[in-house]
Amino acid sequence: MTALLEVDGLAKAYRGVHAVADVSFGVAAGAITGLIGPNGSGKSTTIDCISGFQRPDRGRVTLDGADITGLPPQRIARAGLVRTFQTVRVYDQFDLVANLLVAIEPFRTVGWHDALLRTGRYRAARAAAEARARELLDLVGLTRLAAAPASILSYGQKKLLALAAVLMSKPRLVVLDEPVAGVNPTRINEVAGILRKANEAGVSFLIIEHNVEFITGLCDRVVVFDQGRKLTEGPPAEVHGDPRVLDAYLGIDEHGDHVAEAS
Amino acid sequence: MRQLPLAAAALALAALPPAFGSNYLTGVALSGVVFTVAAAALNLVYGYAGLLSFAQLGFWGIGGYCSALTVTRLGGSFWAGLLVAALVNAAVALAIGLPILRTRRHAFVIITLSFALLCALVARDWVSLTRGPLGIPGLPAPRLFGFGFTTATRFYYLVLAYAVLALGFLYALGGSRIGDTLRAIKQNEPLAQSQGVSPLPYKLAAFALSAVVTGVAGAIYVFYLKVVDPLFLDFYYMQTFLIVVIIGGAGSFWGVVLAGMVMVALPEALRFSNDLRMVIYGAILVVAMLALPRGAAGWFADRRLAALRAALE
Ligand SMILES: Nc1ncnc2c1ncn2[C@@H]1O[C@H](COP(=O)(O)OP(=O)(O)O)[C@@H](O)[C@H]1O
Ligand SMILES: [Mg+2]
Repeated sequence: MTALLEVDGLAKAYRGVHAVADVSFGVAAGAITGLIGPNGSGKSTTIDCISGFQRPDRGRVTLDGADITGLPPQRIARAGLVRTFQTVRVYDQFDLVANLLVAIEPFRTVGWHDALLRTGRYRAARAAAEARARELLDLVGLTRLAAAPASILSYGQKKLLALAAVLMSKPRLVVLDEPVAGVNPTRINEVAGILRKANEAGVSFLIIEHNVEFITGLCDRVVVFDQGRKLTEGPPAEVHGDPRVLDAYLGIDEHGDHVAEAS
Repeated sequence: MRQLPLAAAALALAALPPAFGSNYLTGVALSGVVFTVAAAALNLVYGYAGLLSFAQLGFWGIGGYCSALTVTRLGGSFWAGLLVAALVNAAVALAIGLPILRTRRHAFVIITLSFALLCALVARDWVSLTRGPLGIPGLPAPRLFGFGFTTATRFYYLVLAYAVLALGFLYALGGSRIGDTLRAIKQNEPLAQSQGVSPLPYKLAAFALSAVVTGVAGAIYVFYLKVVDPLFLDFYYMQTFLIVVIIGGAGSFWGVVLAGMVMVALPEALRFSNDLRMVIYGAILVVAMLALPRGAAGWFADRRLAALRAALE
């Protein structure tokens, strides 16, 4: 398998604090890769750098061989790498269908004048996008609320909406930051099923998640972070049995200072 | 069908001058229509794109001076003046918009405010061009194929024609995917970016289009006043546009249009007590803001939301 995403020597400091010190890893095409590590170990910062929301101090990120380091987020998204956010983001004032219609992908062939004049080309793209949006809402079980503003959703439902929104962009690689944190436990298996289905359809995943069962059941490979560095990587079972990994989680509890919830 | 409310509103406004039968009231309605257009343009940048732009006042002034100077200095027609106003405003908006739209929201507010103040300074101090505080008086009535817009009523219909054009355009834009994308950017810019949206071109387009619409409104209005001077850049105008947007509900096309007409009519309706008129006007504003912090449209949206929540319980 060739690597779809390649992260090489990535580093990012916030005012002297080394959030990410020096990490290298890859996501194979077609794989579901997990990214775990204690709070504050630099997972979110890493995907911020990968997806263009932070400019790395050092290192290189390539997607399918193309250098995407430091490109703006929208360029990276259009190149096929789409992410969700740890603190869930939705358009609160839009209904669920409208939330899914913001994505550029279904409207790629539509120009500004098409949108303004509602040309046939625009209406066709819009109809197709709406049909796709309803399909995805059905997939995540939010059809009943399709016409409601997103502000009335629970936190977990917003995470499901964000997941559907990501799939609107027809991504090649999806990066999820804690997709089931706050999701109703009875629905977590459904989310795993949705991801597996998308994966079978050709979408690769990089998933940050603390839920061990979720990660173990879903991932081919897991990368473990500790204090801004890669501690180890390997198949989930192997990684979870690694004493260093246990140490990382426990050591943090002793010191306490790394436990604070990081964004 | 979607155009029906717009057509009905235009017809109702067209019936006003004969109904009034008074130049004074027609003039008030005329100002109301012009201010409503400028407020709707501000609504595009502030209500849709979430950019609190005080530059609108500058564009309004630039528009006024451009049309006046085109006629008095260059010997052009009123219509050429409108074209110059539109082009100059587009150019200025693109030139200042590109750098300042990259700044943070607070910086944006302050820079646009400085721009408006700078425009007022230029109008006052570049005496060789603007005649300074004396202003440019005696602006002639516009003519079209020998027809002169010489009376308040005639000028009113000229203004109304522009309003239908400008509001129709803003309505189509706001209701289109472009308007939706602007509202998405306002609500959650990083999310929009993660979905492939480039915020800058959308913001720049909103900023420049609102500059053109505002500038042409100013360009027309000075010919009704028959004079343009530095007072045309008084903060009173900006305040009026902003109040209309906030009372109507930022982001709501109809909220702003209705508020525009009401807010201009209100001081006139209060003329029964001339001494207290502006005090009552101010009091109504304060009460309205306390009762409707997100404007009239926001109030209705909240009611709908409450009903929906109740239905889903
Ligand atoms: N925007 C920021 N500004 C300053 N420090 C930050 C910022 N984001 C994260 N950090 C810090 O960087 C470190 C890594 O955080 P993060 O990448 O969020 O970790 P994780 O996602 O693994 O919990 C933490 O010490 C955190 O406090
Ligand atoms: Mg995190």
